[in-house]
Amino acid sequence: MIKFTNRNLAAPKQMRPVYVVAAGQSDFRKHYPEKKTEELCVEAFRMMALENNLKTSGIQELKGYIHSCYYGHFADHFGDQLLGESVIHDRLGLDPMGNVGIKTGGATGGSAMWMAANAIASGYSDCVLCMGWERMDEVDTWTGNHYISTAADKDFETELGHIYTGYYALMAQRYWKTFGKSAPSFRRTMSKIAVKNRGYACSNPFAQAPARISVEDVENSPIVADPLRFYDACLMSVGASCALLCDEETAYKLSDNPMRFWIAGGSHTLRTADRRHMEIPLLPNERDNKEIAKLYHELKGGDKGGGEKYPGFTGFLAARMAAHYAYEMTGIVDPITDLDLVELHDAFTISDIQTYEDIGIKPYSRGPEYIESGDAYLEVPRDGSFGKNLAGKRGRLPSNLSGGLIGCMHAVGATGIMQIAEVFWQLQNRWSYFHEREEMWTRFGKTKPKDFVNLQVPNAKRGLAISHAGVGSHVTCSILMHPSAVIKK
Amino acid sequence: MSKQAYEFNNSNPNATVLRRLDPMVIEKPRAPIHIHTYGGETPFFKGLTEGRLMATKCANGKCDPSGKEGYFHLPPRVYCPDCSEKMEWHDVTDLARRTAKVHTHITVERPGAFNRVPMPCELISVEIEGVATVIMSQLRGAKPEIGMPIQPEFNTTNPTFTILDLSWVPRR
Repeated sequence: MIKFTNRNLAAPKQMRPVYVVAAGQSDFRKHYPEKKTEELCVEAFRMMALENNLKTSGIQELKGYIHSCYYGHFADHFGDQLLGESVIHDRLGLDPMGNVGIKTGGATGGSAMWMAANAIASGYSDCVLCMGWERMDEVDTWTGNHYISTAADKDFETELGHIYTGYYALMAQRYWKTFGKSAPSFRRTMSKIAVKNRGYACSNPFAQAPARISVEDVENSPIVADPLRFYDACLMSVGASCALLCDEETAYKLSDNPMRFWIAGGSHTLRTADRRHMEIPLLPNERDNKEIAKLYHELKGGDKGGGEKYPGFTGFLAARMAAHYAYEMTGIVDPITDLDLVELHDAFTISDIQTYEDIGIKPYSRGPEYIESGDAYLEVPRDGSFGKNLAGKRGRLPSNLSGGLIGCMHAVGATGIMQIAEVFWQLQNRWSYFHEREEMWTRFGKTKPKDFVNLQVPNAKRGLAISHAGVGSHVTCSILMHPSAVIKK
Repeated sequence: MSKQAYEFNNSNPNATVLRRLDPMVIEKPRAPIHIHTYGGETPFFKGLTEGRLMATKCANGKCDPSGKEGYFHLPPRVYCPDCSEKMEWHDVTDLARRTAKVHTHITVERPGAFNRVPMPCELISVEIEGVATVIMSQLRGAKPEIGMPIQPEFNTTNPTFTILDLSWVPRR
């Protein structure tokens, strides 16, 4: 039984407030031979500099503010370029300011934002660039799967099939058979997530895989690693995302509408094998809660024991820890009532459900209720997949309106920044500018669909983004708040 | 693996192939060899070739919890994750024969490139009494189920000198 001290669990501190001031991104594609990675990064940077209502005369004046740079690029072997950070930094024209590369697998984008925020919070820099990118199209999909599988332990896991989805699926299978009880209704909830996120991607001009599909389409798609099917899995992508972070004075010098920003990180073993058990670290909405205490006692097998060990294969400890730190920093108690939207790391439909539990949207074992209650939707679908009492109602905490990793993209180093950019624009009430205008669609050679839906969350003031790596090796939890809606002064 | 993918990964290392003119896209093949050491974990991999499952245990009685609770680590660790003292090696083959069972499982049908396991492969995580961890491996000769009693088998006749030399079958 592993234990933590109060020092381990202490709330992280920012020595001064951090703001997100601007964001930008390229569009995302499976193959992108038309453009080099450097071009995609410069295009994201140009969007950030020129389309965020900054009070500067242009790009060169903005470059005069940037003091240090934080680059998220996960896979040197995919990009086939060591020190790619230097290539991007040069093309952005930001020499001689210091830059550093950050890589934590799928959480690379979140971790880059974490380090960028710390540079502001500590006083090291007043204005920093955080940029993330990935190029996954230089090799065929099966070599790509091999490359990704080297993010497992190369001696003890990678040799076993060279397929990361399989290592993930071991956890999915355990969750599916224990908490999910192998029930068709649980399978249906997973399918609804795939339908939801691909559907939201239809209103996102940046998105790689928009699709109007049905629950039946998901359940009839080919099995990748049982119970995970083709439509349950995220994308492989090429693209770039970036954000500008500042201290308070610089934030308001550059913008009339910056957002407060907090971020924290947690970790857990790379090998699923090494998940030793512990007491469940409780989040604010679970403490002193008799119902939760009873439920968690039952999950362990009651007085007799023999139930699920925590975190076992059913929870992501790193996500729970990141949420713990972020909620302690910001004063969030109940994510459903305290937040207006979330962008979660939906690498797979089942890990999305697991994350609902890790970050306290629902208690452990009850993640599917977030979908089935309709709360995860901006508007609950009227397609018959929900009862008449719910159809058409507004959800309390819409999730992955960008389309997430399943519908929008997973250009690994960019993913965590894309999620934060989407939340940022929502809080600025500028979602429509980046998604609804015809020009945004024609820019990427696309036609705006006839069934486009406005996904701006009305009056959104607070949002959360989860960036997640491996089988839960690294997770960051970001919180953005409108300055008028800060909870903990 | 598809034939096309195989050829793509094993082309003549000297050949550069033009794939597309505008934008210009070229093929850059390569086949590097890595020289890799198992270092202090050698007893585990050597053990597999000799038909033995080797695990490590913390011998530091003051260590909390690895030493105090006295459990095995498998995969083995050279140093204790809790007190960072060197761990001791133990043969847990008999323990595994008596108590191992399937914790979770999955069938892999489409492996990544460079895979050497015959497909489909039954991937399993293995629970063993007194072992704090749940090692990943492969089951042969049966469809796995959660809780299924299993025992280890070792490829000692024609070893690959990798984790693939360990597999599991239903307990007889």
